[in-house]
Amino acid sequence: MLAVDLAGDGVKAKNGSMVAYDGRIGFKKLTGGGDGLRGMVTRRLTGEQMEVMEVKGHGTCWFADRATEINLVDLRGETLYVEADNLLCTDSGLRTGTTFTGLRGASQGNGLFTTTVEGIGRAAILSDGQAVVLRVSPRYPLQVDPGAYVAHTGKLKQTLQSGVNFRTVLGEGSGEAFQIRFEGEGLVYVQPSERNTVGGNV
Amino acid sequence: MPFREINSRVVEARLEPGRTLFSQRGAMLAHRGRVSFTPSIQGGRGGITSMIGRRVAGEAAPLMTVEGDGTVMFGHGGHHIQVIELAGDTLHVEADRLLAFDGTLRQGTMFMGSQGGVMGLVRGQVTGQGLFTTTLQGHGSVAVMAHGGVIELPITPDRPVHVDPQAYVAHHGDVRNKLSTALGWRDMVGRGSGEAFQLELSGQGAVYVQASEEKL
Repeated sequence: MLAVDLAGDGVKAKNGSMVAYDGRIGFKKLTGGGDGLRGMVTRRLTGEQMEVMEVKGHGTCWFADRATEINLVDLRGETLYVEADNLLCTDSGLRTGTTFTGLRGASQGNGLFTTTVEGIGRAAILSDGQAVVLRVSPRYPLQVDPGAYVAHTGKLKQTLQSGVNFRTVLGEGSGEAFQIRFEGEGLVYVQPSERNTVGGNV
Repeated sequence: MPFREINSRVVEARLEPGRTLFSQRGAMLAHRGRVSFTPSIQGGRGGITSMIGRRVAGEAAPLMTVEGDGTVMFGHGGHHIQVIELAGDTLHVEADRLLAFDGTLRQGTMFMGSQGGVMGLVRGQVTGQGLFTTTLQGHGSVAVMAHGGVIELPITPDRPVHVDPQAYVAHHGDVRNKLSTALGWRDMVGRGSGEAFQLELSGQGAVYVQASEEKL
């Protein structure tokens, strides 16, 4: 569960994620994921639709979603890449947008586009189970199961690698036919649970 | 303090001769010592009238009486468990959320309409509590189940708390609750923020809120 203290300022949060509040707080839905008209159009086109509400007022507000774990990410000008479904709440000072991820996105079971959050502030992301943060450096690249990937920050290059061989074709695969390989410098958030993906079934 | 939390999903209860516990039927995980489990038809303390009352109200969760000398562990469905201590005040909770409670507590049912009339009935429907809710009164402790972790929010006369009806678990103390609506034209055209109905709790006491908007 996430508690946010508000003193006249606002945050952007996933629609319907408030569980309790005290003080005087108002909720207003933002159209198009809070990115204005242009964001609304791109989000419609890319299928990365986000139902976002603006929470504003004085008091404390508690957020939670389907009993999932919450991780706080501090951003100092860098960009966080996260799935729209896994984003719970952001400071109103952070900008959100969408980017193209290519074939990798499709293998993760979450479409060809992903959501970006950039600026200075804090974002809360959701994971099914306590997420682990894995550091990637140029000497130590990292392979992640597409279904367990939650988010990443930093300058990372991603490639999809496959371990498909004759066993997979015969239906005797290990269930780990695809991985995302991260190279560069940054942090990757991984959850101890796997979404249903195309790659996980072969 | 008969209940001890082993982890967030299992509680252990100490039993001594002459002391009874009520628990949801089938919620025992393991026990040590000589402990007997008998289905309790009457379903908690409160006499035959309260039993009929519960049957009629649909608040008759199958209970069992636990007696003996030893320790018993309780858990159910992988749900998180919160132990609530009562010191003479009344706890309002849904019968199917009750995991176990002290035999010394008096159990009863409350008609939602008795607090706020018609609005009380509407509130019961919105929170999924139905028309009736279970009350426990006295000195002792209660183990309550919730989906996801639970937080306790204190309510004081100058600080009322607003709760999402689906995330509400239980409350105790001298608390009045009323359903507040923040319906605007946005909700009418399907552009609502998903927070149109809220439960406003004011008075003196505490409310328990779960980290999920799912029912058990």
